[in-house]
Formats: sequence, C-alpha cells, structure tokens
Amino acid sequence: MALSPVLSLAQRALLANEAALEVVGNNISNVNTPGYSRQVPEFESNAPAIDASGQFLGTGVRIARVSQVVDPLLLRRLLGATSDKAAQGALSDRLGEVAGALNDLQQPSLASAVSGFFDAADALARNPSGVAERLALLGRAGTVVSELNRRSAAIADQQRGIDDRIGNALDEGNAALKDIARLNIAIVDGELNGQRANDLRDERQRALQKLAAVLPLHTVEDDSGSVAVYAANGLTLVSQGSVVNTLATRTGTAGLDGGPLTDLGFKDAAGNFLVVAGGYPSGEAAGLVSARDTFLPAHSTALDTFANAFRDQVNTVQQAGVDLDGNSTALVPMFGGSGAGGITLLLDSNVDPNAPRKIAAALTTQPGDNQNVLALADLRTASVAALGNVSFGTYIAAEQGKVGEDASRADDAAKASAALADQLENQRQSISGVNLNEELTNLIKYQRAFQAASQVIRIADSLLQTLVNVVQ
Amino acid sequence: MSVTRVSNSQTFSLLTDRAGQLEVQIRELQDQVSSGIRFSHPEDDPAGAVQVVRIRGSLDALAQYKSSSSFGTDVLGAQDKALGEADNLLTRAEEIATQQAQGLITPEQRVAAAEEVHGILQGLTALGNTEFAGRRLFSGLALDTPTAPFTDPDAPGYNPATAYTGSTQQFFVKTGGATTERVRVSTRGDTVFTNALVGVKALEDTLRTNGDVAGTLPGLKTAHATISDERASVGARQTQLVDRGTQVAGLTTRQQANLADVQDTDVVAVISQLVQAQTALQTTLQAGGRLVQLSVATVLGI
Repeated sequence: MALSPVLSLAQRALLANEAALEVVGNNISNVNTPGYSRQVPEFESNAPAIDASGQFLGTGVRIARVSQVVDPLLLRRLLGATSDKAAQGALSDRLGEVAGALNDLQQPSLASAVSGFFDAADALARNPSGVAERLALLGRAGTVVSELNRRSAAIADQQRGIDDRIGNALDEGNAALKDIARLNIAIVDGELNGQRANDLRDERQRALQKLAAVLPLHTVEDDSGSVAVYAANGLTLVSQGSVVNTLATRTGTAGLDGGPLTDLGFKDAAGNFLVVAGGYPSGEAAGLVSARDTFLPAHSTALDTFANAFRDQVNTVQQAGVDLDGNSTALVPMFGGSGAGGITLLLDSNVDPNAPRKIAAALTTQPGDNQNVLALADLRTASVAALGNVSFGTYIAAEQGKVGEDASRADDAAKASAALADQLENQRQSISGVNLNEELTNLIKYQRAFQAASQVIRIADSLLQTLVNVVQ
Repeated sequence: MSVTRVSNSQTFSLLTDRAGQLEVQIRELQDQVSSGIRFSHPEDDPAGAVQVVRIRGSLDALAQYKSSSSFGTDVLGAQDKALGEADNLLTRAEEIATQQAQGLITPEQRVAAAEEVHGILQGLTALGNTEFAGRRLFSGLALDTPTAPFTDPDAPGYNPATAYTGSTQQFFVKTGGATTERVRVSTRGDTVFTNALVGVKALEDTLRTNGDVAGTLPGLKTAHATISDERASVGARQTQLVDRGTQVAGLTTRQQANLADVQDTDVVAVISQLVQAQTALQTTLQAGGRLVQLSVATVLGI
C-alpha cells in the first residue's frame, strides 16, 4: 500500500471539513440577517481509484456544492402575501388617520360644536334680546365653521400626503427593479461554473420582497438563474439584466385641495407612459390609491353635504325674521361659502360689532319676540331632507359609525393579511432560518472530522517515518 | 404545513412579538383604567361610537330643556307672586268699595278712601311693570325696556283702558325636541291688569266725585276674577314645567346610564385583564430567559 494516497485523501478531508466549518461559520454569522437562507455543504465521495493490487479504493471526500435550504413555492407565496399585507396595512394606517381626524368622541368635535350651537340658540330663545346670548350664538357658529374647515383641510392634507407617499413607494419599487436587474447579472455570472450564488440569491429575494410590497408581481426563473419579473397584468418589468418598464406616475385629476393628483402606470424605455389596467391590484400602492380615491373623497363628500345642509337650514330660518333693531334679515344670511372647506361665518362679531344685533331672533318687532330663534333651536332635532331625512346629530353619529367601521374593517383585514404573511415568513424561517444549536452541533461534527483527518495524516506520517528509519 | 424545526430568529421573533403584543394590551388596559372610558376612537367600537355621539347630543338637548323648564318655572313663579299681590290689592279695593257703599261716610273719610284707592292703582301699575332679572314680567319678557309697559296713573290724561303700551307678543320656552313641545311663560299685562286698573280707577273717581260706589263693585269683581283665572293658568303652566323638568331629569339619568353602559370601563373586568396580561408578560419574559439558556453551547460549556 502506498502512503502518498493516504496523505492526499486526508488532505482532501481536511479541506472539505475546513470548508464545511466555513459554511457553518457563515450561517452562525448570519443568524440575525433578515432574509438569510441557511446554507449546507453537500459532501460527495471522490471517484475511487484502483491501487497497485487492483482494488477499488476510495479517494476521500469533497464538497460538491454549497446549497441553500429554500422552498421556492413558499417564497413565491410569500411575495403574494407581502403585497396583500402592504396593501391592507397602508389602507388601515390611512383610515386610522382619517378616523383620528374625524373623531367625535374627543374634543374638538363636530358633534359637540353643532350641539353647542343649538345650546346657544336655546339660550337665546330664553332671552332673545340678550346681547351676551347673541354673541355666544355667533361664537358657537364660528366653532362649527372652524371645525368643518379643519376637518375638510385635514382630509385634503391626508389625501395630499398619500399622493406624495405613492410617489415615494414607486421610487422604492424602481430602486428594487434596478437591484433585481443588477443581481440577475451577478447571479448569472456567479453561477457559470455550476455553483450557486447563494448570498446574491438572498439579496435578490430581498429586492423582490421590497418590490412586492409596492405592487404584486410574477416571477419566472430561467436556467441561467436570471429572474424575469412581471406586473400582475403581465407587463414585463425586468428581463435578464434590464429594467424593461419602470413604475411611473403622471399628472391626474384634481384632488380635494385643488392640486393635481397622480395617476399610476408604467413607463417604457422610450419614456412613454403606459396606462395598463390591473397593474396595481394589490401592494402598498393599491392600498394608498384606495384610501386616496375612494374613502377620503367619500368622507369629504359627506362632510360637504353636512356643511351645505347646515348652512341652508340655518340661513333659511335666519333670513325669515327680523333683527334686534327691527330690520328684516331677508338679505342677511348667517353662513356663506360652500362645502366644509368653504363655509364661512358672515355674521362675524370680530369683523362687524353689530353682527350680534343682526341675528333674527324674532318674527315681529314686538319686544321679547323669540319665535324665530325657537325655530332655529328646533333645527336641532328637525329632519333634514338633504341629509336623507335625519337630524344633524343623527347624521354626524352615522358618519362617525362609518368612519369607525371603515377603519375597523381595514384594521381587521390588515391583521388577517399580516397574520398570513407572518405565518409564511414563519414557515420560511422554519425551513431556511439558522438554528444555532444545529449549527453548533455541525461545528462539532466537522471539527471532529477535521481532527480525525489530521490523525490520519499523523499516522501516515508516523508510518513514513518508520519506513525512512528502516531504510537508514 | 407543520413546523419541523425552529430557527433562532423565530424564537426571538416569537418572544419579542408576544411581549410587544402584551405590552400594547397592558397600555390599552391602563388607559381604560385611568380614563374610566372603554374606548375613545371610533374604530375601536364603531357601533358604540354611534351610540355615544347620539346619547351625548341627546344629553345636551335635555340639558337645554331642563334650563328652559327651570327658567319658565322661575318666570311663572314670579308672575304668580305678582298676581297674588294684585289679588290682595283688588280684595282691598273691593273691601273699600263695600265699606263706602254702606252707611254714612264723611267727606274726609271719602277723601282718605280715594287716596288709598289711588295707592292701590299705583300698586297695580307697579305690579304690571314688574321686572324679573331685568325683564318685564308682563310685557313679553322683553329685556332692558326703558319705557314701562303701563303708564303712570299720575300722568296727565291717564286712561286705564289704554294704559298698556307694552308687548303683545307671547313668549314660549322650548321643553322638548318637537316643535309642539313649548310652554307659554308670558302673561300679557293688558289682558290681566286692564280690567283691574279700569275698575280701581273708576272706584277712585267715584269716591272723589261722591258718586255711586256700589256701581263700581261689579267691575272690580270682574277684574278680580280675571286675575284669579290668570293665576290659575300660571299655576297650571308652572306645574306643567315642573313635571317636564322632573321628566327631563329622569330621561337624563337614563341617558347617562346608557352612556355609561356603552362607554364606561368595567373597572373590575379591566383590572382582572390587566393582571392577566401582566402575568402573561412576566411568564413570556421568563420563558424567553429559559429558552436562551437552552443551547448546546451552554451544555457543552463552549
């Protein structure tokens, strides 16, 4: 038996186990790296050789490849779940903000402002010529106007903020597209020799996750390791190492603040804007668009309806009477403007010191006439046709219910989609995540194998030394 | 898909997520205990939010109905008092008329009686001009009216039949949500006092002219009856307002109870939940500590 092959065999075993220790070390190092997939060395026996006696003898071990432990189907499902989670999360966050801005359970609230207005009308009805009561009524009217203006501005601001966020989200998506294209090139290059570029694949998967958070996508990996990325409507986004179409916006219709909002679409290499239906059915962009274009305008419209109805009802009563000086108020409305954002208080005591005297508390010039202000106080519980034949208070309460229901439902949906995404991520972690106990066990296993291989070298060396001594 | 192995990341995520959830729950429960309110955001209980807004609006309205009832009761109380005094004055005028119509009366006694009757006339006029918190009680409850509704009997050309120049407007207070739920709290001075003033003035004039005093008695009785009828009306409306005030107080109590049912924290239940959550958090953290110790490295002393 020749001793040289034994040394070679032991040397290969040392190298293989040393490499395995490196893989384990890398796994341990990345135990907390998000999206990292654990790697395992795949040992293979070397091809046997025929020795001098004609026997097939093994020639040791080698590491054929270092593979990743991943479930491709799971990763694909995770991309879809990420899109849904991002969509529902974005919608829930925004509707939560709307519910905060339109909260009637805390002060200041529209409900308390309107109630305060009618309280002041009742107080004026008890003392129709009282200037203090008149000032109080105008003060309360101003509070109603301020609250309507504030709510309208808050909704418009939120819509603008969402529109800005859509642009940012698309920027993040485009950055991810570039990363995916770049990584495609790197992976193809890295895998030319048959090895797998595991860490690059992890990085690409993270980029895909980022993109999926913006819009849903389909991916197809070819034999070279390159991933083609398609939008939900089939539009190609990335092919090989190129970004074919980017996520883009263009100027769209006017928003609640009068400024233009952005339309979502794609842009081809020539810079043409592509409007493709179904491009953003899910993902953060879809959640944001849903909040921006559906929920916020609905709440804004409801607020405008209320403001106009309140203005008209109060003005109708105000313009039917006479003021404190006995003059007709037919041409003296209390409120002007239109919609929650545009409604104004025309009888403003800060501007016109005589404004309180212009409140039409009476229908006649008789001293102590409170008939008209009683009619004003009656509006508290009156059915208003423009509000669907309900009172102001009932309308506000119903809207509060809608605001809460929308936010609550979105929150439930967000929790459900987050739970699904978390469950899938949990499964991914279960398969691909690093377990330190497992790695430490492997560490010992490869360490012992390394020590044993060293022992083989030591014995072979001892045998060689013995032979050398015999020759001497 | 069953979980066959657990990564370290999973272990720590589970611990941090669970601990985080419990901390959020503890904070929410602490908020409920400290504020005494179960929810303060509509998304936490949309149906409850609708009820809270409705009930609060209803309580605001009830507070106004209570204020109006209370105001009306005070006004009618003041009217009742004034009418009571007017009733006494008319009784005295009738006594004088009866005395003067019977037996021999000296001219001095007639003059003295005429002076007393004039005083009654002035008293009735003053009652008709009574102010309540700056408002004319028998003239539409108008505030700060410089001109008295009844002319001074000593004014030249005084005519009791036309002495009233005040408001003829009736004043109502709102005691409920419907447009019909109103109670009149004004009493027109002309309808109440004119007969009395005419009757007393006639008596005074008769005494001064040594006329037929007995002939003035029917007028005085009619005036007396008018005052009595109006007092009865005032009393009835006052009772109506007191009843309404009691009814409103009852409704307020019920609505407050409803609001408490919907919105208030069940302190005992919340504190129990709080203790449970705190215990769960403590247990989670302890379990986390144990899990961290469960390592091959620890066992092998690496």
